[in-house]
Amino acid sequence: MDSYFDILSALILLSSFLLVSHKRIKSYIKTFRIQSALIALTAGIMGIDSLIREGSFDILIVCVIIVLLKVIYIPRLLYRTYGTVEYKVEKDFYLNIPLLILICCGLVVFAYFSVSNIGSLDGAHLNLQVVNSFSVILIGFFFMISRKKAIGQMIGFLVIENGIFVTAFFSTHGMPFVVDIGIFIDMITAILIMGVMVTRINEKFESINLDKLKNLKG
Amino acid sequence: MDDITPEHLLYGSILLYLAAAFAAILFSRSHKLCTIWSQVLCIAGAAAGTASSVALLFSGQESITISPFEASIPYLSISMTLDHLSALFLLILSILTFCVSIYSIGYLSHYHGKRNIGLFQFLYASFILSMILVFTANHAIFFFMAWEIMAVVSYFLVVFESEKEETRKAGLIYVVMTHLGSAFLLMAIMLMFYYTNSFALTPVSLDQIPESGRNIMFLLFLVGFATKAGVIPLHIWLPYAHPAAPGNVSSLMSGIMIKTAVYGLLRFVFFYLGVSSPWWGVLILLLGVISAVLGVLYAYIEQNMKKLLAYSSIENMGIIFIGLGVGFLALTQEKQTVAALALTAALLHCFNHTLFKGGLFLSVGSVHYATHTKNMEELGGLIKKMPVTAVFFLCCSLSIAAVVPFNGFIGEWLTYQSIFASIASGNAAMNITLILSAAALALTGALAAACFIKLFGISFLGLPRSEQAAQAKEVPFSMNLGTGVLATLCLLAGLFPQTMIALIDRAVVSVVKASAEPILRGSFLDLYRPINFSALLPEVSFSGSMTAKPAGIIAAPLVAAIAMILLVLAALLVLRLFGGAYRERRYGTWDCGFKELNPRMQYTGTAFSKPIKIVFKIFFRTSKDLKRSGDDFYHPKAMEYTIVNESPFEKYFYIPLLAWITNWSRRLKFMIQTGSVHTYLLYIFVAVLVLMLYNRMV
Repeated sequence: MDSYFDILSALILLSSFLLVSHKRIKSYIKTFRIQSALIALTAGIMGIDSLIREGSFDILIVCVIIVLLKVIYIPRLLYRTYGTVEYKVEKDFYLNIPLLILICCGLVVFAYFSVSNIGSLDGAHLNLQVVNSFSVILIGFFFMISRKKAIGQMIGFLVIENGIFVTAFFSTHGMPFVVDIGIFIDMITAILIMGVMVTRINEKFESINLDKLKNLKG
Repeated sequence: MDDITPEHLLYGSILLYLAAAFAAILFSRSHKLCTIWSQVLCIAGAAAGTASSVALLFSGQESITISPFEASIPYLSISMTLDHLSALFLLILSILTFCVSIYSIGYLSHYHGKRNIGLFQFLYASFILSMILVFTANHAIFFFMAWEIMAVVSYFLVVFESEKEETRKAGLIYVVMTHLGSAFLLMAIMLMFYYTNSFALTPVSLDQIPESGRNIMFLLFLVGFATKAGVIPLHIWLPYAHPAAPGNVSSLMSGIMIKTAVYGLLRFVFFYLGVSSPWWGVLILLLGVISAVLGVLYAYIEQNMKKLLAYSSIENMGIIFIGLGVGFLALTQEKQTVAALALTAALLHCFNHTLFKGGLFLSVGSVHYATHTKNMEELGGLIKKMPVTAVFFLCCSLSIAAVVPFNGFIGEWLTYQSIFASIASGNAAMNITLILSAAALALTGALAAACFIKLFGISFLGLPRSEQAAQAKEVPFSMNLGTGVLATLCLLAGLFPQTMIALIDRAVVSVVKASAEPILRGSFLDLYRPINFSALLPEVSFSGSMTAKPAGIIAAPLVAAIAMILLVLAALLVLRLFGGAYRERRYGTWDCGFKELNPRMQYTGTAFSKPIKIVFKIFFRTSKDLKRSGDDFYHPKAMEYTIVNESPFEKYFYIPLLAWITNWSRRLKFMIQTGSVHTYLLYIFVAVLVLMLYNRMV
């Protein structure tokens, strides 16, 4: 069982590297969809496991919600937001991609360094999964910083959320159902608001490049 | 029914002030009703407070503690302890509140219908209440909370007439300075917890806090409290805030609020930190000397009556600080009796200053009420229009100028005595410092007398210099009553100082564990007997086995007073004998051949202060400007003469500092607050990484 999770956590980490390496907004959304699918798979495996062992449906329901929300609904929402925004070819990142990848590798090492000594997470296998998912959080954050356009920030936010979800999942093997539902509802709200905001920013500044917001400073 | 204990009275006093605050809100629709209800409740609260503190001081109980409710917040206890020191300050507060509240009933009538009286009364009552909490808090955090409430509420009272530009400016300076002081206090209180793990205000033993920690805490406490006291060079808020506030508020602020600093120093430095390095005492003494001399110099050149009084408050805080400094020095040399004497002097002067400065601010409030001006160049001749106010004003002025038999004399006299008593033994450098302090005190006394001659002479004597002054009418009875009680107390405290000294002595004993009362025995003018110095001095041993005590210095004020009276009588006699017969002639003053005398021919306040201004011009940075208009140099059509006095502290310290901070913050704004979302995200990201690293390292 744990070897599946090891592989899946590594794949999730890989998908966030993939995200950082992309240049176009459409591919961001696609990669986010892949990452979410991987998370849904993880949840599914764990859900089946817990159904067999304890007979509880909780995690399976969470898995279904992930599929509906993160694999289908949110990417579609993002596509729609992207569609309303005027298409402009602009360099979307501050540093070049190889450098970004290298920094992300550094972040993984840093996550390994800082998480490896947390007492309650002792034990080699668990440690690795948590390190991977922790790195996903950091990479998601870094992705937000490295992209100029507002949709990049939305995706980064979602990746952070994915990372937090997976970290919680791997370290506790399923959080209380209510907590998961609460997080999902928060996330939907955030994404809806962000979508509206992006459209507004585009109307006001004729671009979703966040650098333009500097003009707002008093 | 049980006996009424000080606890009940203290509870009663606090509840009455609370009731006053809420009555103010309840009756805020009817201004007249609101003023009367709220002030009457304040008067009752003040009476209860006075009774409570006097009862405690005479009962022989060490202290009483009341805890109205338990705080569930960790490290916070909301309980009040009234010990002898607190009781003394509560007494001073209550006496002043009693008079000011009587005064306010009449004074506030000129706000009726124009301003939000309900709000004012609410703030007024909460201000007094916050000061009670400051004086009784027995827990550092609770003390700090009360201190902050006091600062904020007094700020709102200062800016009560907020439509005036200068009031808002004064309020801003006040609130910035007072919070600067609070910041220092907070640091000191945090250090207190760092070293002792407790916020309780019980004396710490010497080994609990290391020497360096003590020194730092002392400096922080000193800066924090000195800002509130308005000690030079931290005084800049005082000459702005006092004139801007309504008359009764400035009376409370100058009368008692700045005394909270004296209480704080006694409580936190003398009582809590204890006595260790002599340089603490020297520092307090020097600050006192500087404030006393410069304060009175700045007061002397002021034409705004309230500003003059504000500078005079700085001077008097200086005198109190001199007393504290001498007391501290004596304690480090283990001369308990001298220390007791010095602290008695400081506290007595505190009490006296509250009476006469409270009275003076109230009188100036009355003048402002009647004439709508605070500028003494527009006044004059008020003694005929407002005779009652003038008499009370004169009483308070005589007190502050330290004229026998008013109370101001006693505090300063004892301060001198304590300085002299410290001089007698000690090392040479210390002796020179003390002698110079005594000399500075003498200079201060003389200048203060001149200053109040000017204040009284220019505004109450002569001819009215403006229309308002000419049409001034006597103020309502309640205003005169409030001022009158204070003026009468000034005289009584001067005639029977023994009573007050007996009360103060208990507070002093609780701080220094020694009493100066036995050497001040006597009553009425007997107090002015020479202090028995030989009791204070160590025995000097001569060669061989013989020991002797040095002889006391004979400098009895009674003797001096009798000598002076005799001298005056003798002078009169000589004049009578050789000056010919006394003839009374009544006719107009010679007017140099002009048609008639007019008010502009009078001596002005500016002219009066000119000689001193020339002598001490280094402190005033006076710049003069003479503008002539008209073509011909020798026959100008009009001339305009302006004099600008600048305070060197503002010019060379505060303004450059402010400019530097503004400049720096503006640059920093461009560096840190770039407006870029990415930079802000980066800050969060770096913070997360650093925290993770910290977690790994620890």
